[in-house]
Amino acid sequence: MNERSGVIFMASTEYAHGPNNPTDTDPTDTDPTDTDPADIDSSTDTGDTARPVSFLPSRIDRAVIAVVRVGVGLLWLQNLGWKIPPNFGKGDPPDGLYLSTTYAVSHEVLHPYALLVNQVVLPNFTFFAWMVLLIEASLGAFLTFGLATRFWALVGIAQTVVIMLSVLNAPNEWIWSYLLMLLVHAALFATAAGRHAGLDGVLRPACLGSQSWLPRLLVHVS
Amino acid sequence: MKPWDPLDRAALVLGLVSIASALFVFVSGELEIVRVQVAGVVVAVVLGLLAIAAGWLESPALAVGGGVLFLLAAAVQVVLLAGGRSGFLGGNTSTFSLWLGLGVGMIAIGMVPRPELAEESPPD
Repeated sequence: MNERSGVIFMASTEYAHGPNNPTDTDPTDTDPTDTDPADIDSSTDTGDTARPVSFLPSRIDRAVIAVVRVGVGLLWLQNLGWKIPPNFGKGDPPDGLYLSTTYAVSHEVLHPYALLVNQVVLPNFTFFAWMVLLIEASLGAFLTFGLATRFWALVGIAQTVVIMLSVLNAPNEWIWSYLLMLLVHAALFATAAGRHAGLDGVLRPACLGSQSWLPRLLVHVS
Repeated sequence: MKPWDPLDRAALVLGLVSIASALFVFVSGELEIVRVQVAGVVVAVVLGLLAIAAGWLESPALAVGGGVLFLLAAAVQVVLLAGGRSGFLGGNTSTFSLWLGLGVGMIAIGMVPRPELAEESPPD
């Protein structure tokens, strides 16, 4: 391979390495102590001709990922609006979150899940509804602002699976809307989307050298 | 002119986001991502200005203070909703989520170890 155009993907790293890579810098990655390969850009130039760059070397790539992350965050945030405490739609007639939850039984997708909903969730609906509210509020909050994004992307995948198991066979549902939700959360996880115009990108460099458990935890989940 | 520290710039951005969210007072229907009414506008603008001040003055303490106030507003909103109505803040669960994110974000910005402070600490 031509040396000038060569791109070597190093084992267990997330960055390309070559003498002719773009040198645009991410303004959020200014800490010279940042040794995480995913965050290495030209600011960590070691003086030789090689310049490690971000896994997403172009500003456009990073901007697109940031827009996707904010969009997914707003998806969760806005769809929290119809989950209304204290009853969450439990009434006569049922609506809202309660009605959606009953679909797991009335329009069964997976028998064990339907059994779980019927035997455990519906009898204790208020508790589970508050859990849904807290989880989805956190998904909206953390994904919109890009904090602990990789962790919350995984939570988003789990929550999407739960929603699928509840409503997939209900009337007027489109399976691909949920598959797209799964895929977009997987993309947010794979690209560590919070590091691009998100709080993870600002906080990670400061946390990388810390010995305290909370900053170290943030490094792992971002 | 001194370039903004990324942490202070992030506080500025969160403040601007909070103030921008007040514009949802004019929006209804499908595009109403969060519900904001008059008291919510006051919260969004005042705490947004506080976040901007935290960034402008490069004050971690102010950032933490602003974050705590956002979390307090979020908690009050969700307690009001648990009582069966939006209450005086006039928001919904989406408003709770937005203020939760702003609060946690501001506190994280205020509490994260600052590079200049790390440099001053003695080596191991």
